[in-house]
Amino acid sequence: MRRYYVMGLFSNFDEAFAAISDIRDHKIPGVTVDDVTLKSPIEHPEIEEILGDRGSPVPKFALFGAIFGAIFGFFFLAAGQAAFLVQPSGGKPVIPLPSNIVLSYEMLILFGVLSTLVGFFISARLMTKRHPLYSEKVSLDQIGIMLELDEKNVNPIKDLFKEHKVLEIREEVAR
Amino acid sequence: MQTKDINENIAWAQINADVLRSMESPRMGYWIAVAACLAMVACAVVAEIYQYQIGMGVGNLNWPHMWDIYIATFVFWIGMSHSGTLLSAILHIIHADWRKPIYRFAEAMTTFSLMTAGLFPIIHLGRVWNMYWVLPYVSDRGIWPNYRSPLVWDAFAITTYLTSSALFLFIGMIPDLAICRDNARGWRQKLYTVLSMGWQGDDRQWRNFRKIYLLMACFLIPLAVSVHSIVSADFAMSIMPGWHITSFPPYFVAGALYSGCAAIITLFIILRYFFRFDEYMTIPILEKTCKLTFAIAMVWSYLTLIEFASVWYGHDLVAKESLMERFVGPYSPFFWLMLFCGIICPFALAIEKMRRHLPTMFVVSLLLNLGMWLERWMIVTPTLATSHYPFAWDVMWPGMVQWAIVFGSFGWFGLLFLIFVKVFPSVSMYEVKEMVFHRRHAHRPDLAAKFHRRSSDQQPGDTASGQPRPEGA
Amino acid sequence: MSLKNVLENWSDYRKGHEQGGHHDYEHMWVMAVDLDKCTGCNACSVACYAENNLAVVGKERMMKGQGMHWLRVERYWDEPQIGGDDGQFQSAGGSFLPMMCQHCNAATCEPVCPVAATYHTPDGLNAQVYNRCIGSRYCSNNCPYRLRYFNFFSYYEESWPEPLNQQLNPDLSVRDKGVMEKCTFCVQRIRTAKDTARREGRAVQDGDAVTACAQTCPTQAIVFGDMLDKESRVSKIWAKQQVELGKTKQVKANPELRGYRILEGLNTDPCIMYLDRVREV
Repeated sequence: MRRYYVMGLFSNFDEAFAAISDIRDHKIPGVTVDDVTLKSPIEHPEIEEILGDRGSPVPKFALFGAIFGAIFGFFFLAAGQAAFLVQPSGGKPVIPLPSNIVLSYEMLILFGVLSTLVGFFISARLMTKRHPLYSEKVSLDQIGIMLELDEKNVNPIKDLFKEHKVLEIREEVAR
Repeated sequence: MQTKDINENIAWAQINADVLRSMESPRMGYWIAVAACLAMVACAVVAEIYQYQIGMGVGNLNWPHMWDIYIATFVFWIGMSHSGTLLSAILHIIHADWRKPIYRFAEAMTTFSLMTAGLFPIIHLGRVWNMYWVLPYVSDRGIWPNYRSPLVWDAFAITTYLTSSALFLFIGMIPDLAICRDNARGWRQKLYTVLSMGWQGDDRQWRNFRKIYLLMACFLIPLAVSVHSIVSADFAMSIMPGWHITSFPPYFVAGALYSGCAAIITLFIILRYFFRFDEYMTIPILEKTCKLTFAIAMVWSYLTLIEFASVWYGHDLVAKESLMERFVGPYSPFFWLMLFCGIICPFALAIEKMRRHLPTMFVVSLLLNLGMWLERWMIVTPTLATSHYPFAWDVMWPGMVQWAIVFGSFGWFGLLFLIFVKVFPSVSMYEVKEMVFHRRHAHRPDLAAKFHRRSSDQQPGDTASGQPRPEGA
Repeated sequence: MSLKNVLENWSDYRKGHEQGGHHDYEHMWVMAVDLDKCTGCNACSVACYAENNLAVVGKERMMKGQGMHWLRVERYWDEPQIGGDDGQFQSAGGSFLPMMCQHCNAATCEPVCPVAATYHTPDGLNAQVYNRCIGSRYCSNNCPYRLRYFNFFSYYEESWPEPLNQQLNPDLSVRDKGVMEKCTFCVQRIRTAKDTARREGRAVQDGDAVTACAQTCPTQAIVFGDMLDKESRVSKIWAKQQVELGKTKQVKANPELRGYRILEGLNTDPCIMYLDRVREV
């Protein structure tokens, strides 16, 4: 069976919200809220709530990066100092903790930030090709609801969209 | 009188149009500004080439004045960079949505002032060509930088801060870059296509975006505090009376936020005037920034006075002498000017009439930053002039070469900023949309009419008809 | 490997100056300067210029504070404790204080150098590596005695016009612009003494290494030697004055003893002891 991408563009969040609620309530058999991709010009945590808790692994990346940065930072510095023994300075020990704490702290943040960034790129699927159904209107002022569907569900979804005053419907065969 | 942060009825399409318009077809004034900045940079470049060829002595540096306004200006620019972090990160975490129209240029300011600040430790090195020795690269000779030195901490901290704040600026701009991509043609479209990284505004992207933005903000706040503490460590970790002061880290952080906020006011007024951003950079938002600046100014003033008090009561004779030298010594006119600009001038921010008057605010914000620059100079130079060792007491005035490089740094910053405002959106479109969206939902015209702020204000749908005003307005 | 090194020697690497430090010293070169013998003739300074290839910068730059005098003889005409502004005391002559790098064992200049161009040698010297120096000048700012001098210009270009360059000491380099420098306790002479002693298969004896200033001083006010050698002249003078290295506050049985170290209270542990001048008041 062929699969389709269908996207409806709505003029405001209320309509989009209602449409997703209908999908969530299984108005159309075989289509679940998990198939929905919401496209919006702004961040809107409330409407994302009805999509269900989809989670984000970014904080884990941040935690990992920060811990790695602090530990690696400290031992990187200490190893450098211990390998450079000609440098006993100003009566300070070879491995002075106060200065190493300062620098480990900076490394914690640097690695934390870089790791968070990598986590974001991976989990937001950035640096990939835009979807064929991408509409420039989403970056302007319209809200898009996109679903990946079996052929039989395409028309019911279109009807559902129309019920909620959809402005425009686009579809594309999925590969 | 305008009391709303933003008109909640602006159409989203209008926001896009207004901001995108600001990026198009520079007018004559823009090119004049670019030329002026280039001329300033040229001054600095000529001075630096001369200094590079002849030696550090050309700017009147001497024994014991090994550091002078290069380091003062370095601290000044690092301080300026703290504004962006304050506005974006702290205000983001506490959900102060009035930051949204103005945080983008503040963040750009952060990045660019760091790029300016970073030049100064390099310029001031006696052997610039060996500057990379400060970095911890693996050398086949087994040589490492000295991690005990606050200058190495500086190198680490500035690198980290520049990386993080540039990334923060960039991440926050991705959705806007996507908007630019959808509206641009030619080289701009290519540029934005690459930079927007395939942003398409789907819920997965927004969800992760929200997370990373919050996390970056959480990383940036302690980072900003640590960066300026480390800069203060250049002084506080030394043995010099007048530098070796325990309260320096918070003092520097407060000073940094102070000068950063003052610079935000300056640039706010410039952008509002030249880009006609009256709808977004509104007077109430300026007022809020001014109030914030005032609060920080008072923190800074307190820390300044407490520094004097602690030195005085600490009764370390050398430190006391050094302090007195600042009050009455050869540098005292600048010292008193600094106290005037830093402690007296901010009271203008507390007066509503002045706060709402743009030309006044422009002048005041420049005065505040003048005070903050003088503060750094008054930390660096008088201490070197009066140290532990009376034989080495000396008064030195910076020479033309030093002034030229400091002057040029403002041109460099201006140039970067001018390029930024024409290539990148200087108002965050998606966040202004959010702000408008949420305000529209929260807006209750009936309540607004009832509890309008001033009895003298014109009320919506009512033209001063002399109706009785509600109490407690 | 490096990690193993860190973990195995952790407690050793954590020893600071107060715990004896990580290194054992082979020598501890120190000096004693008797100010009572100093006549302020500046011969030490001249000797230093000749020995260490110090740049002659000219009157103008000297006035601007860009001179390179590693050993400066400070003149004080106006000390309050000997009469202040009283012209009579001033006519009796000033007080002189020859100041050269104090080679502090807890030197404040060392930890602040970003590239470790200044460090402590196993000889107890505060060394400056010209080749490593990048000229951040932090060390000079952090020296409470202000004994570090910076090459603000390429002084060598004008300092020794032909044929004066022929008189330069070949044992050490001429410094270019952008480098910090300071008194080395004539490290080239110490090197030579150690090399000679090793070649002759003996220990370095007292008097093998003498700094140019100590050698030149007509009144022998400056005594230089190894503190670890208990029989050396200098260590005897230190012992007699009851001044000890590694102490912030010296406990003296006899308050009449004249030995002191400059700015001792800053805990820099300098290696030069001065003997106070005795004046009739």
